[in-house]
Amino acid sequence: MNTFFNEYFDRVTFFTVLGLVGIGLLSVYSATFDAYEGRDFYRQLLWAGIGFTLMMTMMLLPLRWMQRSALPLFFASLSLLILVLLVGKRVYGSQSWLGVAGLGIQPSEFVKITTMLAVASYLSRSDVKATDLKDLTKASILVALPIILIMLQPDFGTSLTFLAMFIPVLYWAGASKFLIIIIIAPAFVAAASIMGTTPFLIVLLLLGGALWTMRNENRFVAALVFGANVVIGFLVQIIYDKLPLYQQKRIATFLDPNNDPLGAGYNVIQAKVAIGSGGMFGKGFMRGTQTQLSFIPKQWTDFIFCVPAEEFGFVGGVVVLGLFAILLYRGIHLASIAKNKFSSLVAIAIVSLFAFHIFVNIGMSVGLMPVIGIPLPFLSYGGSSLVSYMMMAGLLMNVYANRKEY
Amino acid sequence: MNDEFGSQERRRVLKIIIAVGFILLVGRLFQLQYIYGDLYGKEAEQNSIRNVPKVPIRGYMYDRKGTLLVDNRPSYTVMVTPIDFNAENLPLLSSILGMQQSDIVAKIKQAQRYNPFIPTRIKRDISFAELSMLEEHRDKLYGVEIQMEAKRYYPTAVRGSHMLGYAREISDAMLEKNKEYYQPGDLVGSAGLEAKYEEQLRGVKGWEFISQNAKGQIIGTFDNGKHDIPPQDGFDLQLAIDADVQALAESLLSDKRGAVVAIDPRNGGIIAMVSKPDYDLSHFSGVTPPDVWRALNADESKPLFNRATLTRYPPGSTFKMILALTALEKGIIDEHWTVTCHGGFRYGNKMFKCEHVHGAVNVVDAIHRSCNIFFYQLMLKVGLDEWSAMGQQFGFGKPTKIDIMEENAGLLPTREYYDRVHGKGKWTPGYLISLAIGQGEVGVSPLQMANYAAILANKGKHYQPHIVNAVYDKRTKKLEKIVAEQHSLSLSDHTWDLVREGMRRAVMAPGGTGTAARIPGIEVAGKTGTAQNPHGKDHSWFIGFAPFDEPKIAICVLIENVGYGGSFAAPVAGLCMEQYLYGEIIRYGAKKKNADDAIAAKE
Repeated sequence: MNTFFNEYFDRVTFFTVLGLVGIGLLSVYSATFDAYEGRDFYRQLLWAGIGFTLMMTMMLLPLRWMQRSALPLFFASLSLLILVLLVGKRVYGSQSWLGVAGLGIQPSEFVKITTMLAVASYLSRSDVKATDLKDLTKASILVALPIILIMLQPDFGTSLTFLAMFIPVLYWAGASKFLIIIIIAPAFVAAASIMGTTPFLIVLLLLGGALWTMRNENRFVAALVFGANVVIGFLVQIIYDKLPLYQQKRIATFLDPNNDPLGAGYNVIQAKVAIGSGGMFGKGFMRGTQTQLSFIPKQWTDFIFCVPAEEFGFVGGVVVLGLFAILLYRGIHLASIAKNKFSSLVAIAIVSLFAFHIFVNIGMSVGLMPVIGIPLPFLSYGGSSLVSYMMMAGLLMNVYANRKEY
Repeated sequence: MNDEFGSQERRRVLKIIIAVGFILLVGRLFQLQYIYGDLYGKEAEQNSIRNVPKVPIRGYMYDRKGTLLVDNRPSYTVMVTPIDFNAENLPLLSSILGMQQSDIVAKIKQAQRYNPFIPTRIKRDISFAELSMLEEHRDKLYGVEIQMEAKRYYPTAVRGSHMLGYAREISDAMLEKNKEYYQPGDLVGSAGLEAKYEEQLRGVKGWEFISQNAKGQIIGTFDNGKHDIPPQDGFDLQLAIDADVQALAESLLSDKRGAVVAIDPRNGGIIAMVSKPDYDLSHFSGVTPPDVWRALNADESKPLFNRATLTRYPPGSTFKMILALTALEKGIIDEHWTVTCHGGFRYGNKMFKCEHVHGAVNVVDAIHRSCNIFFYQLMLKVGLDEWSAMGQQFGFGKPTKIDIMEENAGLLPTREYYDRVHGKGKWTPGYLISLAIGQGEVGVSPLQMANYAAILANKGKHYQPHIVNAVYDKRTKKLEKIVAEQHSLSLSDHTWDLVREGMRRAVMAPGGTGTAARIPGIEVAGKTGTAQNPHGKDHSWFIGFAPFDEPKIAICVLIENVGYGGSFAAPVAGLCMEQYLYGEIIRYGAKKKNADDAIAAKE
């Protein structure tokens, strides 16, 4: 028995995830404790139970089967996204929910899993090369399909997570660094150009430096890329200046919520106050004034990190971050030891997705990132996201169990 | 496998990126929580902006002449802030307010779950004695405060219980459905006009932003009140009701069970709507004592039941005009067609009786003297289909869509109805004979009957009955008139004239059954009804309108279990119409003679 566990059961991932889910449940309990008498908490507890079962199921799935059925599953899941556009429910302005047996399901959360499996399955084929532009284009089309469907809902934040998952996977699969830089540079350049001259110059300098180090790439193409990014920067600036004032204000507030303290920035300011006032050791469970006095709207979904940070202070925040760090490094380790390309790519996709969610969500709560409504894995209130993240954790455990298979 | 896949270098790059991310986050946490921790801690203590709802003044209601019927008066409410309240003071508070300790605890506990820092209502509308007792113990009763709120006040003699309705503390079920506007303890219109016009009457809540510390203690207004949103007072209602007629009708029925509905046939406005017995609305304006509720619900005379709109009784002879109109309009009979009344009528082996032996009667006589035999025979000639088609045109068997919610559609039997109840082909024309005189299955409400009287008064042109004439929009400062839907029931003038003449004679001519409804100096038309019922004495009905040539009021009076329509309902109708047309009761005074001279001169 013991040898079985040592051989097949990834205790590190398992206990890390259990810890995070536990902290998440306590946080949801604290943030939603009011006249509704913990209804939300019990619902989340139910979802955690479902998630746990599915996590164990994912761990046990046969590797070959997953690899073979990844594409059919992917297309089947896309049809759910189309269904959601046709008959879905609207919540907070985007049409991303399906009602199933009285519970709201967000198919986009599960499409993340089928997409990562499909991409990994495609890139792990022996006839596909991550250095071949044609193959890369095909992989990109795979990812573009769900992104387009989710943009239609419209759910900008969730669409971004697909890109955040895809680019590191390409990198891991062997795409050239030069290519990766060409893909991601314009986004950074555009954002920096709106933020001001200094950020713009810094980003350009970094880009120039990065291109400079890639000595074996075509110098002419590198210069062209650099030039194009400079032009993009100026174009964005020109377009931004031409926008009506209110739209400029919206973009500026998005990039820096402090610009609108009573509107869009209200959450961020209250979140910062909540976290800051937690101090080193926090105010104690169920005793966070910001949390208990409902100062942070929608706290149990996107701003859940404030709860451990306010009620357990810096110590609580670092414990959460520490658990996440263990999970991410464990994922990279699993990707490295897996003998199978498919498994390895799946692990990297999961790590990238988690990393993006963690950095954007917590970054938003502490005021380092723009407000993008994406949940914090394992902690945020919400059934579909909790279940899908636990399924991903199950996939990581699956990678461990099958690590020796070719 | 190409050698770049998952290479050592790529692994390192990813690890570094993740490390940078975590270092940034931990650094930021350290900055916020350790370096600025005290600063944010103070801010959390201070920042706390509390949104305090400001309840607007509920709209007033005026009658057609501008008399204020529904007013607001200040009342005092005891509030308790759960977090501040000391349980040791529970016996003291309970003895001052005369409430069970367990009731107080239940309220505080419920509020505690909602938000322990926000004061919650414990008792509305406390008495002056309670108020002074509380003031006396103020220093002891920490966390107990008194708030001034408005409660409904009814300054005139008008009770209007069922019509005006009341606002009560919102129920949990309703709160769940309307969470975006209401909060626990809010008042919400729950019956009558208060319910129907809730959105107009309630106004729009305002918000005051108050800075509070983390313990919920108020520091002061936030940003000098610059962001406060003032409440918008509720809109006023201008009713078609005539307060004097309403009060008179209420007093006339004070010891009876019944209803009065009067309509202005020129626009459909309800002049009076009375249902008796009723209840005192002022019991509902603050808190309703549970024993009052229990008593009202247990009362076998059903004071909460709106007899004006919910009753479903047979209308008796008042319904005869439906049959007369059908027969005349369809050309089945003319004014020369007569029936000889011997005081009885045999159909099959059943005997149908008449009140008198009327001899030979035509259609006008039959209405004038309310001859049953004429209508029994006529019903057999006309048949069910034409009769019920005419009844439907007068709005029977369906709601009038008046602007209060509680209304009964009544029942107008049709061929489909009989087929359904008795089976196809299993009923005979004999079933119809009772319908001819408004007995049997047919069921109507006094409101439907008043509407019917208004249609007769106006020769077919009529309006949807409505209590509210106009809403005064306080934002635009405009009086928004409510335009009543206009309908037309086109029958030939000849038909109308014959039937209306019968109704005129029923009141004005000797031998009429409704002579008790006469008014000095004005010609009245009407019809009495005496409806049999299995529970005691007959129900007394009267419908009518006046003045005959240019009707300004149409009325229906129903008094339960008293006897003849002509003896009980008709005089009430006469007095109400007199009050409305003259603005006072003149029949006992000097004006009566002048009015009688005028009518004599006219004749």
